[in-house]
Amino acid sequence: MPSRAFRLPEALGRRLRRREAREQLIGYLFTAPAVAVIALFGLFPLGYAFYMSFFAWRVRQGPFRGLRNYGKALGEPDGVLIFAGAVALLVLAAWMWRRARQTVPERRLLGLLAAVALLVLAITAAVTGWGRMLETGDVKFLNALPVTVYYALGSIPLQLAIALALACVLFQNLRGSAFFRMVFFLPYVMPTVATATVFRSIFSSRDTSMANQFLALFGLEPQQWLAESRPVLEVLFGWQLPDFWGGPSLALASIILFGVWTFVGYNVVIFLAGLGSISGELYEAAELDGANRWDVFRHITFPLLSPVTFYLALIGFIGALKAFNHIFVMRSPLAQGTVNTASMVIFDTFYLANQYGYAAAQVVLLFLMILGVTYAQNRVFGRSVIYD
Amino acid sequence: MIESAVQRQAVLQPKTVLRIGRLSLYLVLAAGAAVVALPFCWMVSTSLMSLGETINRQWLPGTPRWQNYQTAWMEARFAVYFMNSVIITATSLAGLLTTSILAAYAFARLQFAGREIIFFGLLSTMMIPEAMTLLPSFLIIRGDVIPLPGGSWLNTLQGLTVPFMASAFSIFLLRQFFRRLPVELWDAACIDGCGHLRFLTTIVLPLSKAPLLTVSLFGFIASWDSLLWPLLVTTRETWRPLMVGLWSLVTEAGAETHLFMAGATITLLPILVIYFLVQRQFTEGIMTSGLKG
Repeated sequence: MPSRAFRLPEALGRRLRRREAREQLIGYLFTAPAVAVIALFGLFPLGYAFYMSFFAWRVRQGPFRGLRNYGKALGEPDGVLIFAGAVALLVLAAWMWRRARQTVPERRLLGLLAAVALLVLAITAAVTGWGRMLETGDVKFLNALPVTVYYALGSIPLQLAIALALACVLFQNLRGSAFFRMVFFLPYVMPTVATATVFRSIFSSRDTSMANQFLALFGLEPQQWLAESRPVLEVLFGWQLPDFWGGPSLALASIILFGVWTFVGYNVVIFLAGLGSISGELYEAAELDGANRWDVFRHITFPLLSPVTFYLALIGFIGALKAFNHIFVMRSPLAQGTVNTASMVIFDTFYLANQYGYAAAQVVLLFLMILGVTYAQNRVFGRSVIYD
Repeated sequence: MIESAVQRQAVLQPKTVLRIGRLSLYLVLAAGAAVVALPFCWMVSTSLMSLGETINRQWLPGTPRWQNYQTAWMEARFAVYFMNSVIITATSLAGLLTTSILAAYAFARLQFAGREIIFFGLLSTMMIPEAMTLLPSFLIIRGDVIPLPGGSWLNTLQGLTVPFMASAFSIFLLRQFFRRLPVELWDAACIDGCGHLRFLTTIVLPLSKAPLLTVSLFGFIASWDSLLWPLLVTTRETWRPLMVGLWSLVTEAGAETHLFMAGATITLLPILVIYFLVQRQFTEGIMTSGLKG
């Protein structure tokens, strides 16, 4: 009797184990093609770029160069070290600020003041280090950093705000909202090369371009738009601010407008999905408490949408780094490189200058920057996101 | 007196507020739609002008010059490029769908060691800009890194399509959808002695029209819109796609705005048509499977 009682589970177990092993095998077989392609053209290139970055490599592999490709990009080590120190100070300042806000009131003021002092120190160090890097490093490459930052800071808040407003309106279930949703989404699905070609003519420097005719409607002077390398603030108000503080060039601002035009629709659709997932009971409860529309938006809609907003901001940031086709089509030599984001600079080093080893070093530096910023974004904003 | 006025207002208010509110909402939507539509109208209008009209700039052409389209078509060698684009897009899309469906199914339904690690490894590639992988990928295709069947893949169909035959985004989107199909479906199929591949093709896929359309349209756009990669890997005319043609039209035609507007319209039309056909499933596909999870 006991033998029989044992045998049955054993046979069953064997069959189950065989089925499990089979499932494992099928799992690997099914994923293999996708994994092979993505590993070869998505992941391997990063490792290979790291390898290439230590060589002189002009079309064909040349001699070992050690860290000199990195030196060429960043300049003398002292500038880089000062700049890195500034970043460390900034992190320290943020940490102190948070600590200070949690301690007892008597020590809070002192802590906050110390944090602010550290912040000032960090900014000074960053400016000094950056200046030194610009002196000794590759200005073309280094300038891609502020350009990319402008692009991200210029486009993300704008497109999020517009998209949120439109999504809230569409969510009211007006008649025809499906039609408007489709229209808003249109720029996102259209081929970028084609739409950027159109914007190239809209923002052309001719007096008769659409952008200039629009200005003429209000009796304003025609502008150079995509051919304008001066910062927006200088063009608009005549302010001449130094370096970074001058803001993006008018050319870059035009490209940012194109980016916003393209991505608002996508953000609208994702916001709509987010709005749809907020439970109606909350709204009813708020209504019973006599909350007005603005209160409801501020205390219910906006906080509960924060995961969506965070997701879209992250996508927008990646988009700023990925931005390529439209900048490639819309850029003009007259903009003097003020529109060249990191992706553009890497492409130019590789494709136009044929400096493969150096381009690979730029790839590695950009990768490190992406890692750093993504981590920081998660730490800073990931906290204030409300998940339900 | 005051009381009655207040009362009257309270009675009147909701309706008028509602009407005014609704009107202003429509105004917001209409303004948004106008901003979206204006560049397209500008494009079509300009594409029908003569050179003189584009310079003197009217809002509308005097008499529409449809022959601009013919000129653009000839000058940009669109006849060849259009066919190339169709073949390239169809090939990459077929590959993309095959690999993504299989992988997404495995990640959603099958148990195997390392599943999560592999999945998130693939997802991490979504963070990487194309410009970063471009150079090593180009060297791979040129045959410098690993030996390829048939030597260098420059100027070949496989060189243009194979790197795009898988995408983490498509896998992610399909997996989100497959995961939400009820397990009972598989149990029922299991009794009938159905294998995974048959279950996938006969039951799962017919239920997944919206996400499949979404993935297809994204794949179609990505492939149709590619400019960078074809510029790198085609040194000869043979396999040049449409966007390279449009790009050279823009750089060569220079001041002839009407021609490259006609060219842009031509490249845009196929996607416009497809989008109008599938837009409902498409936006729903993004809304339902793009976010949760």
